[in-house]
Amino acid sequence: MEHQAAIIEIAVQQAGFDTAAIQQQITANRSDIGAIVSFTGLVRDFNEKPDVLSLTLEHYPGMTEKALLNIAESACQRWSIQALTIVHRVGCLRPADPIVLVMVASAHRQDAFDACAFVMDYLKTEAPFWKKENTQHGNYWVSARASDQQARTRWEHSK
Amino acid sequence: MTDQAQTQHPSGLTHLDAQGNASMVDVTDKAVTFREARAEAYVQMQAHTLAQILNGGHKKGDVLAVARIAGIQAAKKTSDLIPLCHPLLLTKVAVEFYPEPAHNRIRIEALCKLSGQTGVEMEALTAASVTALTLFDMCKAVDKTMVISGIQVLEKKGGRSGHWQHPHTEAVASTSAAYTTAPATDAPANSIQVRFFAQLKEQLGCEQQWIELSQLEAHTLDGVLQHLQQQQPDWQAALAANNLLMSINQNMVKRQARVTAGDEVAFFPPVTGG
Repeated sequence: MEHQAAIIEIAVQQAGFDTAAIQQQITANRSDIGAIVSFTGLVRDFNEKPDVLSLTLEHYPGMTEKALLNIAESACQRWSIQALTIVHRVGCLRPADPIVLVMVASAHRQDAFDACAFVMDYLKTEAPFWKKENTQHGNYWVSARASDQQARTRWEHSK
Repeated sequence: MTDQAQTQHPSGLTHLDAQGNASMVDVTDKAVTFREARAEAYVQMQAHTLAQILNGGHKKGDVLAVARIAGIQAAKKTSDLIPLCHPLLLTKVAVEFYPEPAHNRIRIEALCKLSGQTGVEMEALTAASVTALTLFDMCKAVDKTMVISGIQVLEKKGGRSGHWQHPHTEAVASTSAAYTTAPATDAPANSIQVRFFAQLKEQLGCEQQWIELSQLEAHTLDGVLQHLQQQQPDWQAALAANNLLMSINQNMVKRQARVTAGDEVAFFPPVTGG
């Protein structure tokens, strides 16, 4: 099925983001959007080790943006999407800091819900970001989770 | 000229007078002509040291930029260092770097020019030597086994001897491409760039290196991994990880994917963003 071209925005940045301002940008001067679903990921203060003091996010400049764009385009091909924004932060972050925002706008809610989950599942397994946790007991590279891989695999079998 | 010939030491060494004493050659009456000389030097190092230099990620900063300035400054100081060398008003000093990843070394080439009465090969040799010494100084913390070698004059123009060229010059000059600006844009010919990220980068102690395609048995990512493991036995375990991800020109691919000259290849652990 051919969908009307979605407005895709990708940003990889050190700075924080303003979710409300991004939503306003998406909805400005249009009234055809019926649903907006957004996911925000935050830094936890516990992960593989307790007492996470901070997190350092490394990425592969160039490839990261390209990978995110590919994921966004796949989502827009699969569902009827009007706008899709991905913002991912890099550098040093502290517990409770927002890391990632995925915001999807569509005419009906199910497309937005599904596309948002799809983007996050692929982002977690295909976008070249790496987390290093700085804890009271030393620094650790976060290891990949099998559950993330499984979450992604479900999209390959459905639809 | 005839005057100089009479007072010169019979050995033909110009810096000795007839009695064998050190003497600065009197060039007062020599004609002012355009002079030019090129000299080279090599710094041999470990592969990861070369990668670090080319990547610009060295903790002392831009190694090549500093070494180049040191070489240019040194050329201007030659007469202070070499006792019987005339002070010269150089009109041009240039230092270029030619990385040779296949030989784990950098070739340094220095060029000096002036219009004057004596040759400029000592200036070119000094520039090449001090550039090499500065490279050594900048990198000695990570690699003490570096070897400076092959310091020689490549070419000399002007003056009585006219145009003189080292018999091997042409062969030397054509083996590699000049390294002048950012590593990503000035790739050595027929090579691929190999980059490492995250914990793999830390395990290997290497961010990037260049591999000449001719060194690979198979022109695939598997071939690249095989080559790296043969070159660096202590990298074997890290590169053997079966969950290693890899990309060519920033697209994730499988290990059977083919590489061609100019490709940007990367190896990295499973991703953990989001």
